[in-house]
Amino acid sequence: MDQQALLPQARLGEFVAFLAARQKLIGPVALGYNQYKFAEVTSLEELSLDYLPTILPPKKYFLPYHERLLSYDLSDGQGMEPVVEVEDITLFGLHTCDLAGIQCLNMVFSDHPRDLHYLTRKHHMTLIGLECTDYCDHYANCAMLRTHLPKGGYDLFMTEMNDHYYVDVNTYTGEVLVREADLFERVTPLALKELRSLRDAKKKIFQNELPIRYQDMPKLFDDTCDSEVWTQVGDKCLACGNCTNVCPTCYCFDMADEPELGLTRGHRVRIWDSCQHETFAEVAGGENFRGQRSERQRHRFNRKFHFPLERYKRVFCTGCGRCSRSCMAGIDLKETLNALIDERS
Amino acid sequence: MKTMALHHCSYQVARAKVETVRALTDLEKLFRLVLPDGEALNHDPGQFVQVSLFGVGEAPISICSSPTQLDSFELCVRRAGRFTTALHQLNPGAEIGIRGPFGVGFPVIPLEGNDVMLIAGGLGLAPLRSLIHYIIDNRRDFGKVDILLGCRDPQSMLFCDELEVWRKRLDINFSCSVDRGAPDWEGNVGLITALIPGVHLEPLKTVAVVCGPPVMYRFVIQELLKKGIAERHIYLSLERHMKCGLGKCGHCQIENLYCCRDGPVFNYADIKNIKGAI
Amino acid sequence: MSRPKVAFFDLACCEGCQLQVANLGEELLDILGRIELVEFREIMSENWPGRYDIAFVEGSVVNDEAEERLLEIRQRSDILIAYGSCATIGGINGIKNRRPIAEVQHAVYGERIDWFPARPTRALHHLVRVDYSIPGCPVYPPELIKVIKAALAGLPYVVPDYAVCVECKFNENVCMYDKGVTCLGPVTRAGCNSWCINHGNICYGCRGLVSNPNQAGAKEVLRRYRLDPDRIVDKMTMYNAAMER
Repeated sequence: MDQQALLPQARLGEFVAFLAARQKLIGPVALGYNQYKFAEVTSLEELSLDYLPTILPPKKYFLPYHERLLSYDLSDGQGMEPVVEVEDITLFGLHTCDLAGIQCLNMVFSDHPRDLHYLTRKHHMTLIGLECTDYCDHYANCAMLRTHLPKGGYDLFMTEMNDHYYVDVNTYTGEVLVREADLFERVTPLALKELRSLRDAKKKIFQNELPIRYQDMPKLFDDTCDSEVWTQVGDKCLACGNCTNVCPTCYCFDMADEPELGLTRGHRVRIWDSCQHETFAEVAGGENFRGQRSERQRHRFNRKFHFPLERYKRVFCTGCGRCSRSCMAGIDLKETLNALIDERS
Repeated sequence: MKTMALHHCSYQVARAKVETVRALTDLEKLFRLVLPDGEALNHDPGQFVQVSLFGVGEAPISICSSPTQLDSFELCVRRAGRFTTALHQLNPGAEIGIRGPFGVGFPVIPLEGNDVMLIAGGLGLAPLRSLIHYIIDNRRDFGKVDILLGCRDPQSMLFCDELEVWRKRLDINFSCSVDRGAPDWEGNVGLITALIPGVHLEPLKTVAVVCGPPVMYRFVIQELLKKGIAERHIYLSLERHMKCGLGKCGHCQIENLYCCRDGPVFNYADIKNIKGAI
Repeated sequence: MSRPKVAFFDLACCEGCQLQVANLGEELLDILGRIELVEFREIMSENWPGRYDIAFVEGSVVNDEAEERLLEIRQRSDILIAYGSCATIGGINGIKNRRPIAEVQHAVYGERIDWFPARPTRALHHLVRVDYSIPGCPVYPPELIKVIKAALAGLPYVVPDYAVCVECKFNENVCMYDKGVTCLGPVTRAGCNSWCINHGNICYGCRGLVSNPNQAGAKEVLRRYRLDPDRIVDKMTMYNAAMER
């Protein structure tokens, strides 16, 4: 088995059907108004493979917004059992930005102490990527972060070419899929040439969207920590939390107990939370350590471009543009970074 | 979607039994807890545990007993919200859940051989008490020990019986001040910062440990620096709402630090330039 | 352990929230297994002369008679739960507070104004201590059940202090603003699982505003989407007029 294969475009429908028959298949579907979400599909017709980043990123399958951690039973004092909700899922058509987002979350939840809920679920996922050959829209900043190109994190990765999909086989799981689907052909020299020219064309299209290298971002944030830009962003912000909920690398959460009506049994759950919410950093005495919307927005940007570089050696922005796209107040990531860069120079 | 049992996870709780409950003031109760088979919690002074009551939730609470007390550990809990109100209703014999201990505690080893200045404000005495007891139980290993305590009024003073013992001991210099006096109060009245100038100390061999409400830190640190204590020799315990205790949930984050993982005890020199820390 | 005695009452309202309770279906049966229902006008005719462990009150206070009734209920109840927008924030009834009361009375009752003594609309917490609040027009059944559990367990319930947008994003609805429609989601307290938007409607703000809404920011949003700022003020006062004091 080769590490690359070709899938004739005419057989994509069969491949999708094959995947759907194997286990739950998730892919991008259209919602209207040029908006999309990841949802269960069984056929190619339901998919919208030419799509803008979905409303929620694929993190919703890795870190569900509501998740059971423990089951308890008070008839046994503080007796409990750790539980995990899992499902075998194939995620199909993931853009490189979303694959990068999953890689970020993987790092966080593999970091000590390991999060076995996340890691268990992760092992039940099959990931199939799909290359973007052009920008999805003007909100994206993937070239700056080099996330417009495949950098691993998938089982199979598909690039659409004239008659075929060029498929990179990255794992044993991917290899099995290719073998069992029995739809793939060997890579030809012509296909390789076509892929090279496609990537060359991408180099011209995808150019750093901002006048800064991502390596220099921590310094930018150190220099602009008291900037007026944060006040302006804070004045606009409604603290609705859209930017963090749609972010592929935001993972803040809250925990709560959900008793059954009998009150004896119940579950301890983990629910997405947002550092943008008013009470996120409040302590029992009532003191709020990030009471200003401007402080909270600054915190969010720092959590993408500054803090993770130290611990994970990686920027936690994937350039997907979701935060800017979903902000009703029009807080735009690229504009904000540009304003910070302008102010400093 | 299927629900599977997990063999182990960071959210599971250990059972602990409430051995005794003692009301310290109208608002604070002291719980003495034992783990199954009398196992030691094996914590460092200044660390915290996540206390769990299923159906109610969890809350981070600092351990106020010393690890030298092996058979049990103590938590001093102020009734402030939903969880602590539920905790206050527990009687001896009740079971609670425990996760932890978590975080970085007080710098016990660097304190050894040095003079130690321990400064507590209000409920800050609770975590600091774990260190005070540790030092008392290993008194020989430390130099001069000064304990400075500040609280709102005499009624809100915690551990009054122990304070009397500390006051009487020759190997401890104990002083305390209340913001508002009472008719039968004969001690100092005023802010805790007023106690610092009067302490005799050798700045180069003194390490200060401060624990109290956020507003107290800036003023206390100023006084300590005035006394010539180096920034590196000042330790603080910061209060944030640690929800997971695992450096993940984000609630206790101070810039790039997680209070639950990198703290709650920090060296002043490390955090003085961190926005929003103090 | 004897089951807590529970009663349901209504003041000025449409009784739609009671209907939500009656429509709970199987879950209602589970709840009835945990409580002793002693008064509920919409589904039973009995009255209870004694104390109530838990009293649910729907509707707002719009006249002296209602005020007296509420005070009596409070006196006879250990736990008082305000449910529905009328009871928790004044709701639709609050619209009359936008004008002087005499003017409103005149417009509605004309010459018979003396027959109907009226007062400005007040939510229950304006007059008595309220132990639990369940906002919503009508109440969202899963939240109602959550509060019943909290009350039975003796634990407080806090209505989320973040925007409906949060839950709306979880449900991956296309944003109403992207459809060119004004929606109060960004300034309204969550807890309803974006019930209305999931079904194609906008958020009318029936759950009350978040504690620190960015009003200037919200106006700016409308400008950005070329929507009329007066429309949002109108929409906000539809449910929230009685909360402006």
